[in-house]
Amino acid sequence: MIEHAGHLPGLDAQALRWRHASHTAWGESATIALPDLDEAQAKALCETVRNNARARLKRMETARIVDAIDATVARLLDREHPLRRKAEHLLPIVTGYDRETVRLGLTSYLKTFRRPQLLRFLAEDFANPAVLDGFQPTAKGGFLRAQGPELLLHIWAGNVPALSLWSLICGLLVKAGSIGKLASAEPLSAGWFASLIAEIDPEIGQCLAIVWWKGGDEIGEAPFLKAADTVMAYGGNATLTALRAKLPITTRFLPHGHKIGFGLIAREALDSRKSVALARLAAHDVTRYEQQGCYSPQMLFVERGGRVSPAEFARHVAQELAAIAHRHPRRELAAAESSALASWRGTQEMQAMGGAAELLGEPSDPWSVVHVEAPEDLSPTGLNRTLKLVAVESLDEVPALVAPYRSFLQTAGIAASPNRLFQLGERLAEIGVTRIAPLGRMTAPEAGWHHDGRFSLLDLVTMTEIEQSTEAASEGFAPYVD
Amino acid sequence: MLTQAEIIEALLAFIALPDATEAEFEAMALKVFAWQFRNNEPYKRFALQRGRTPLTVKRWRDIPAVPITAFKDLTLSCTPPEQASHVFMTSGTTQGVRGRSYHPTLDVWKRSVLLNFRKRFMRGHERIRMGILFPDETALPNSSLAHYLGLARRECGTPNSDVFIGANGLDLDRLLPVLAQAEASGEPYTLLGASYSFVPLMDALAAQGRRFALPTGSLILDTGGFKGQSRELTPDEFYDGLEAAFGVPRASCINMYGMTELSSQLYDDGNAVSHPVKSGPHWIRSRVVDPLTGIDLPEGQRGVIVHHDLAHFNSVSAILTEDAGEIVAGGFKLFGRVDGEASKGCSVAVAEFLAAARG
Repeated sequence: MIEHAGHLPGLDAQALRWRHASHTAWGESATIALPDLDEAQAKALCETVRNNARARLKRMETARIVDAIDATVARLLDREHPLRRKAEHLLPIVTGYDRETVRLGLTSYLKTFRRPQLLRFLAEDFANPAVLDGFQPTAKGGFLRAQGPELLLHIWAGNVPALSLWSLICGLLVKAGSIGKLASAEPLSAGWFASLIAEIDPEIGQCLAIVWWKGGDEIGEAPFLKAADTVMAYGGNATLTALRAKLPITTRFLPHGHKIGFGLIAREALDSRKSVALARLAAHDVTRYEQQGCYSPQMLFVERGGRVSPAEFARHVAQELAAIAHRHPRRELAAAESSALASWRGTQEMQAMGGAAELLGEPSDPWSVVHVEAPEDLSPTGLNRTLKLVAVESLDEVPALVAPYRSFLQTAGIAASPNRLFQLGERLAEIGVTRIAPLGRMTAPEAGWHHDGRFSLLDLVTMTEIEQSTEAASEGFAPYVD
Repeated sequence: MLTQAEIIEALLAFIALPDATEAEFEAMALKVFAWQFRNNEPYKRFALQRGRTPLTVKRWRDIPAVPITAFKDLTLSCTPPEQASHVFMTSGTTQGVRGRSYHPTLDVWKRSVLLNFRKRFMRGHERIRMGILFPDETALPNSSLAHYLGLARRECGTPNSDVFIGANGLDLDRLLPVLAQAEASGEPYTLLGASYSFVPLMDALAAQGRRFALPTGSLILDTGGFKGQSRELTPDEFYDGLEAAFGVPRASCINMYGMTELSSQLYDDGNAVSHPVKSGPHWIRSRVVDPLTGIDLPEGQRGVIVHHDLAHFNSVSAILTEDAGEIVAGGFKLFGRVDGEASKGCSVAVAEFLAAARG
């Protein structure tokens, strides 16, 4: 069976070219047909979405959009719904993540887009979310109205299931006509979501499109890059740099680069009872999405002086990773990934030879833990369940070890007492960490989080102000003027 | 207990053989492993950690291969490094650290280079005119490629051979008249250099609308890929481009595959088709393994290349590269580097992180 990806209002599916991509994992295969639009089709689609957004979405109350998203997400949360069943079947084959990881990840992620969470999300960015529906009085006097872009282009990357829904929903909430470019590594969720919301509220469905072009294909991408008012893009720095160079100066560009997560474990968290549970949570964060998420931890800084030493804690984490591997087998690695992992392991092995590091796990194990006793700078591991634990005398040393990599920072997991949480939080905020989470929740941001420290909705809108004096001046032209 | 003089003598004799059987190679490889295990302390620790010692290793394939990154972290030398007459360093400046190979003498290295260069590149010529597109060893004293090309030019080049890359880069003003004159002379001409050196030259010729038709028998040798020093070209684009620019058929464009961490080179017999079979002389053998487990992969299956280069006696002979390859009849196929891949998701991977740290 061939699964057709995308959502293309106004285009005749029969008239399109479809590019077939095969995926194999867990002993099953799937063929995904990706829409390959020509220039005229791409231009027509941009026009359709822009015009529909102008005529329909912009005139809707935000509440109606929230309801439609809520109803869509409710269906996707329903494990009996055909689309949810399809997602649970196909996403493991396409992304390579095991079924349980996909199922649990989908549920915990989709839950953050229910009505109450969406309202919180709006309240997070707008003191008065009604500015999205009409002019609202402001505290300083005058009136304020927020407008999303007419055409918002999303360029998604990576294989984390359904990650695209995040920005797609942000766009809808600010009433932007949206065109999303699928990531080849996860080309399904966004199209499913769009088709489902189109079923629930067809008018909304006319205001968004999900497309695909081969990454870096200049001819395929040109019509979209030219048409968009705002571009939200995910990817590595090289990709983002190239993309920025192609955009007109008047286009707003909101890049989300690759990030590295890390954790801090305080000595008070390291007694014999708590440390085992904590190791399990750390292992969970490492395992979920095989460290492919921007929030995934790659390094843990572990404080000395607790009942359990950093070396013992490393062994606990290793045990938990071994245990999880039985329930959640590791995704099959591509040759390049194995090689990157082997290269990282090789380097650690070299350090271990000098006695500077302890390497846990055999080369054939689906996980590796390395533990070092001397403080060292933050650095990425080989990903795919490879973790480095760095012992430190005091967690106060950590900000200096991490600060040089500011542009890559996002999530820090902290296990420490409340006092120290806030002390460390201050220091981490200074050096550019934008999210602090407990271990076990690093890969599951809360609803309404500030992705990369930005205002996900506010960054998308422009404000129109009616200054107080304008209102006063207009009084002079009223029919009832004396 | 072999002395250094004895291991050098044994190697020179081995290299001088016309060929070596599997058993002969194995015997020599085990001898070299024992020498390196005894004299190279970090390698000994590495081997012990893998549970491989001269007592337990009976097959050359079981000699533990050191990941190439180790040349950055460790001093892998059987003699004190300060006694090295030459230190070759990699061009990569990952984290500012360059991989190093220490040579107490270049005798074995030179013998290995020359014998094989004559056999695989010279195509029967005693000497041939060379144009070299790479700085010489005075400019780059730690570059093994500069030494390689210098040796080739001295031993196999005609007196009017020349280097066309200097302090200011490619010297087009000198090179173009030489190419024109070579074209007119009817005598075979050769161009040798880093793959990335050819790209700006081809671009300059294209910009001027110039093409050469070098005489029959002319040859091109490129090596090392593009390394971010020039545009990246696919093999077809590159060799089609060379053929078009210089009139040297793809079958006469030879790619040399070598490394700072080796003392021998591997060659193909021309690039009429992309990814031709590569092989080395009888004193180096290559395997393709699963990079994680180190287990040999069957013919035709892609993995990572391991070289056992007996000529690299002072350091470590068994090296796990970061190059993707596939064993085929008569050698292996090379598919470029396997590292440097970004993550599949949105986490930052080592390559990008390091690129940013370099600035």
